[in-house]
Amino acid sequence: MTRLPLADMDQQPERVRQFIERRGTLNVLRLLANAPNVFGGWAEMVGEIFASPTFSARLREVIILRVGHLQNSPYELAQHVSLARTAGLSEQQIEALVGTGDLDAAGFSSTERTVIDTVTELCTTHRLSDDTFAAAHALFGDEALTELLMVVSCYYGLALVLNAADLEIDAVAVLERKA
Amino acid sequence: MTRIPYRRPEDMTERARELTLERGNLNVYRALANAEKVFTGWMQAGRDALTSPTLSRRLRELVVLRTAYLMDSPYELGQHHDIARTAGLDANEISAVTSDSGWQTDHFDPVELAVLQLTTELLTTRGVAASLFDQVHAALGAEATVEVLMLISRYAGLALMLNALDVDLDETARLPSIPQRTAEG
Repeated sequence: MTRLPLADMDQQPERVRQFIERRGTLNVLRLLANAPNVFGGWAEMVGEIFASPTFSARLREVIILRVGHLQNSPYELAQHVSLARTAGLSEQQIEALVGTGDLDAAGFSSTERTVIDTVTELCTTHRLSDDTFAAAHALFGDEALTELLMVVSCYYGLALVLNAADLEIDAVAVLERKA
Repeated sequence: MTRIPYRRPEDMTERARELTLERGNLNVYRALANAEKVFTGWMQAGRDALTSPTLSRRLRELVVLRTAYLMDSPYELGQHHDIARTAGLDANEISAVTSDSGWQTDHFDPVELAVLQLTTELLTTRGVAASLFDQVHAALGAEATVEVLMLISRYAGLALMLNALDVDLDETARLPSIPQRTAEG
């Protein structure tokens, strides 16, 4: 049961309302809209992450599901399991990412496996060993590796907000992927 | 030793450069600017947080220092150890909030203690007991409670990036104070 009121869309400033109308009236957006002074910047940040062509939708969902699992966020998992399916991940791969299956047996590519291992080490130890950093850096280079960290950072932090507020999972609304 | 090269402000887009220079051209920004497709949005989110008048600077720095300590981020601790002094925290308060249990003393008022308790519980267990959450919500209201959570969220995520890239603390440069907005706009 959500511990905060979910903001009424009719009461929102124009740019908040426009962002929410584009994405769907999700509980997460109505929760964050309680803070209109910071909602706009947060929305711009998330918008850039989803608009960026650096990662395929599939690889982005690998990152997000792994972070959602490691941060124990039922809300992030509920939203992103369906996005992960749409992006081409198999049920076996999704189960492996969320801790109920075997990562080694799920048929991930070596790139995906490097991403999963990097994300896991960072979220659980809060840093990266020299070897893990070197493997990820060799694969992605300066720009894409930093962008990967931005995606992890965003969803790692968001999970904390959602868990603290005990946000209820949307009954039907699903994040829309409009540009 | 920072693990990737810094971006030079002259190589950034105009808006990214303005946002970076406004915040003192710190190592953190020049490192994260490598992610040029998402850097501007991340900077704008930070600017909104820094200029929002919802939380006092004192409460903000308490939350940031507590988060930096629990996420074990030398960079955040180095920056905010100094910034907190300009927000009215004294040296004893700063060392209390950056210790395992020293913050649970008479340095802080009941609302500050509840916010620090929430920050600690959230970052160590990834959740918060309902009674503690309700206590913070009752004291701060919905808007400020969400801003506190967003602040924890931002600095926890940033700590991961800083640690992953092993960003060196700036020798002397510290985040400058940016005027708060007076209202939503």
